[in-house]
Amino acid sequence: MSAIEDKIRIRTKELLESGEVAEFIGWGKGRFENQTSPLFIKDPSRVDELVYNDYCVNTLGKYAYQMKGDGKIALCVRGCDARAINRMLSDKALNREDVYLLGIPCEGMRDRKTNEVLKKCQECRHHNPVVYDELLGEEVEFPLPENRFVEVEAIEQMSTQERADYFDTVFSKCIRCYACRDVCPCCTCNQCFVDQREADWQGKQSNIPENRFFGLTRAFHVGDRCIECGECERVCPMGLPLMSLNRKLIKDMNTLFGEFEAGMGDEGPDVLRTYKLDDVEEFM
Amino acid sequence: MSKIEISHGCAFGEKPLIPQICNIIGIVEETSDVKTFRIQTPEGKKPFECRPGQLGMLSAMFTGESMFCVADQGDDYIEFTVKRVGMVTEELHSLSVGAQVGVRGPYGNWFPTESCKGRNMVFVAGGIGLAPVRAFLSYTLKHREDYGTITLVYSASNKDDLVFKKELFEVWPNEPDTHVNVSVYHACDGWEGEVCYTAPFLEKLGISTENAAAVLCGGPSLYRTCSEGLRKLGFADEDIITTLEMRMKCGVGKCGRCNIGGKFICLDGPVFTLAELAGLPSDV
Amino acid sequence: MILKKENVQNLLDELSKSALVFVPKEVDGVLKFAPFKSADEMTLDIINTTLPPKDLLFPQTQKMYRYGIDADGKMYVDPSDDSAEQVVFGIRTCDMQSIVCMDDVFLTKGFVDEFYQAKRDKLLTVAIGCNKVAETCFCDSMGLDPQNSPTADIQLLEGDDAYSVVAQTEKGEKALESWKPFLSEGSVEVPKIECALKVDMTGVKDKLDRMFDHPIWEELSAKCLACGTCTYVCPTCHCFDISQENKMKDGVRFRCWDSCMFSEYTQMAGDHNPRPTKKERLRNRFMHKLCFFEDRYGKTLCVGCGRCVEKCPVSVDITCLIDQIGEFDV
Repeated sequence: MSAIEDKIRIRTKELLESGEVAEFIGWGKGRFENQTSPLFIKDPSRVDELVYNDYCVNTLGKYAYQMKGDGKIALCVRGCDARAINRMLSDKALNREDVYLLGIPCEGMRDRKTNEVLKKCQECRHHNPVVYDELLGEEVEFPLPENRFVEVEAIEQMSTQERADYFDTVFSKCIRCYACRDVCPCCTCNQCFVDQREADWQGKQSNIPENRFFGLTRAFHVGDRCIECGECERVCPMGLPLMSLNRKLIKDMNTLFGEFEAGMGDEGPDVLRTYKLDDVEEFM
Repeated sequence: MSKIEISHGCAFGEKPLIPQICNIIGIVEETSDVKTFRIQTPEGKKPFECRPGQLGMLSAMFTGESMFCVADQGDDYIEFTVKRVGMVTEELHSLSVGAQVGVRGPYGNWFPTESCKGRNMVFVAGGIGLAPVRAFLSYTLKHREDYGTITLVYSASNKDDLVFKKELFEVWPNEPDTHVNVSVYHACDGWEGEVCYTAPFLEKLGISTENAAAVLCGGPSLYRTCSEGLRKLGFADEDIITTLEMRMKCGVGKCGRCNIGGKFICLDGPVFTLAELAGLPSDV
Repeated sequence: MILKKENVQNLLDELSKSALVFVPKEVDGVLKFAPFKSADEMTLDIINTTLPPKDLLFPQTQKMYRYGIDADGKMYVDPSDDSAEQVVFGIRTCDMQSIVCMDDVFLTKGFVDEFYQAKRDKLLTVAIGCNKVAETCFCDSMGLDPQNSPTADIQLLEGDDAYSVVAQTEKGEKALESWKPFLSEGSVEVPKIECALKVDMTGVKDKLDRMFDHPIWEELSAKCLACGTCTYVCPTCHCFDISQENKMKDGVRFRCWDSCMFSEYTQMAGDHNPRPTKKERLRNRFMHKLCFFEDRYGKTLCVGCGRCVEKCPVSVDITCLIDQIGEFDV
């Protein structure tokens, strides 16, 4: 770990000093023990503030999109961050030459309070970055997690009424802070449907129907683009099981169109935007 | 010449958030996208008493509420001049005489009619910005003996965008010691008057600052250029009065969005002198 | 007087006969103030609920009035009042202070908000002093005492097996009448506590007055997601939107929580947005908490509950900001 931290600092310093990149995005210390927070550095003399440890819970990919146009930036990418970058590259939300990627093989991050490996990291299928300019450290080998559709299958087993009740409970808790959307590397619409006031898609009242409308619409809009970083679920202050929505879509797409994982390359289009003559059309 | 004193945070009322249903008793089509609505209660009364510069919340009941400056008033009506820019205004524009709308108010402070007494008044407005200015201008004309020379400098993008044409060309120029100066930004057939932006127009007119107070209202760029223009003419910031616009929902200083620093436009404003604004943060 | 812990359940049962009693508890995995049910296990020791109790006075979605067109084709407006007698039992100092702040907003400065007032008049506040603090608690740095909520109607302090009970307002005294069967003479030993997290508010407001154009806002907002988490878990954030829902010839106009972190919040019809990026929005939020509110109401709008510190997805931390401001020479 600390070896990687050292390398991050050294390379960041070099990249910033040489002027190759204008800004670097990594992690810095938070106030509390084992807390980290995204850190943005322009000044090479500050690289010692960068840290890398078991608690770098934030996926950084989305920031590359937010900072588009501010000059070339460098950032640390693990499996999730790298797939986020690919996601945005294939959506043409980002240009490859605008980012410099320091790849980091990741062994999974831990919750600072419980010290347990985060759920999103337990479910991770790609610990090594799938795109990078240089790799800091050796690739790690991880067995694929067991069936990642366990939650989905449990919901599928429910009776219609049970399922309705289950989702009512889930969406009764949503406070519509939109943290799930704002952290999501797939949510790169210039204006989210929620904010399109004139169109009035989304009612502002917080109640089960409106909350469900938001949750499901977002899930469907992310659709085949979800890279399964699990950030939506991690940031949800109300603990909504948001990945089960995304995974239901993934599971169905896998069944209908064959196994597919988003963000593994930077070429589109993804399954829902590909038309083949032999596509199943049960729903027609 | 006594100092211009503007009251702030002086509005008050009961049950401020519930509208009363009123009728549209007259509509003037000012331009292709601006209409003036004359509003009265079903009992034939004025919806509320207000002073020039104060605001009212007008609602197309099924669409929503929007805040407007009361553009003019009579003994048994108030008038709002509404530019079609969004959902609510679109809906309002579709209404005809006899239609029912919601009205609540009055909100906000008012133009310093008292402390401007005895002064020469210079009104500067662009486009729809003439609506709030009109409220004060009408007041000075009604109390003609209290004020010195009245000068209006008004511009719009083109001839068709000039609002209150009847007042501009027929009524006000015939008032005693009242000078109406109108320009358009873009020349067009049928316009033989001035073609120039408001700020240079001001300079060209060489308006005297002697014992004068200026009242300024227009969009962000007009506000910027004309406040500079007025200063160049020699107006002190203490003698330039303006009325601000921000998105408002409650109108009573509770809902939060129209603040500039610790001041709420809906409650402490919308009327300020430039000198007062200089002491506030700049996010307008 | 003291209230033995074994009597709490019975007391709450009694209070529930004439009011909706809210206690801190976990509902479907979320810690919040929710209606007490007799079978509930007592969870009054929850240090800080994830959601503040502000929705008791200021619901996330609140119906204001119904409107529509009646049989004669006339438009009508029918104001709603869903206020009922409520008791919040086990509110902490921080959240009690947040009610003081909301009272300032909704009940002063020329206009009294009728919807807030209806609920406020019918709320009995029963505070419990904290004997434990979370790592994110910093109310004592904000001038509060975790074991004393002077504005609560009734203040309880927790001992080993009983709470001391003191009425602090007329309303509290009146309420205590019905508590009598459950109270006894006695006293409790209360351990003194203080928050582990400390910030120094000295000079922060004055410095902020001069920091509107400071680079800190650009820097701090870089990592901000501009989501509404901080504002929605904040006990003092009170911004709202007004909107409506129509069904055929009737509709409901309601207000609902809104967040100054959302781009749409200040977006005007037409194109202008006075706070176009998250930098301006984050600056406004923190300045409102630590500076603007004090200009207006003479107190800070942060009560040190630590919820935003705990819940921010990217660890934007108001206490770190306060530390930083302290170090600035402006």
